[in-house]
Amino acid sequence: MRILTKVSAVVVAFMSLNAAGASAQSANINATATVFQAITVTGARYLSFGNVFPVVAKTVVVSDATSGRFDLTGQSSGNVNVSFTLPTNLTSGANNLPIGTWTGCTNGTNTTTGCTSFTPSAGATASAFSGAGALFVWVGGTVSPAANQAAGAYTGVVTLTAAYF
Amino acid sequence: MRRCAFLLLSALLAATPLAGQSTVTGIRDLAFGIVIRGVQTTVAPADPVKSGRFYVRHRLNRQVRIQFTLPTQLARVGGGGNLPITFPNNSGIAQGTAGNSVPLTFNPNVAQTFNLVTSADFFVNLGGRVSPAANQATGNYRGTVTLTVTFF
Repeated sequence: MRILTKVSAVVVAFMSLNAAGASAQSANINATATVFQAITVTGARYLSFGNVFPVVAKTVVVSDATSGRFDLTGQSSGNVNVSFTLPTNLTSGANNLPIGTWTGCTNGTNTTTGCTSFTPSAGATASAFSGAGALFVWVGGTVSPAANQAAGAYTGVVTLTAAYF
Repeated sequence: MRRCAFLLLSALLAATPLAGQSTVTGIRDLAFGIVIRGVQTTVAPADPVKSGRFYVRHRLNRQVRIQFTLPTQLARVGGGGNLPITFPNNSGIAQGTAGNSVPLTFNPNVAQTFNLVTSADFFVNLGGRVSPAANQATGNYRGTVTLTVTFF
């Protein structure tokens, strides 16, 4: 009986020790975010080939007055990826006019002088907003009318998508 | 019999965790990256890059209680504003390191008690949601997330 009592006493003593021995520790991490202003994209000018003639390919380069232009605003000096959805044909009803050989250029100011060339059809292009939060993007291309190209007004849509990175 | 009592005590003490064996460590920040003014942004707890992460180690077949201290706002670095942050009730995940451990989704706003059945250590991932106002001041924001773990 004495022995059992001793053993019980030991067990009780341990259990009390164990309950009191629960320990706590803490650790920290940071939660972080960087707030940027939203990007705006405006189709500022059509890419316009004017009159074209059968079998005479016509190219508009980015420095031409008829090149396409997008005006973007965003976070000052923010890095941005620019990508395009490009047509392979301009259409006039059921008729197609092939378009390709896309060219592009970006600049933080509204001039193609000194702009940075890129290939719009090659996927996303890394660029950056100017310190004033501006970015201008010009687009050129080539249309290739066939010998039997139907006369008419042909149109297509060029879409620019921009995202911070 | 004294010897028996000593052996029993030794066996019980051997199962008692030592202070140095139980740890909690913050190993990855909860990083929302770039968020846009006026656009709510959520990081999932399973996000392998952006979610916050802690590592907890104790002993197999023991219990741990975890309790987050969560911010309600991130403060703009350099002053000038706060960015509201919330933690949806499914934005915590705990998973043991053993191959057969099953991830457990939980509400980080409420204390949780886990039994360490398959592994003695586990990771705790934390997601969250920030809600920048339309006129939120641009810049970097930061807050502190604390995980307190009680080892039983």
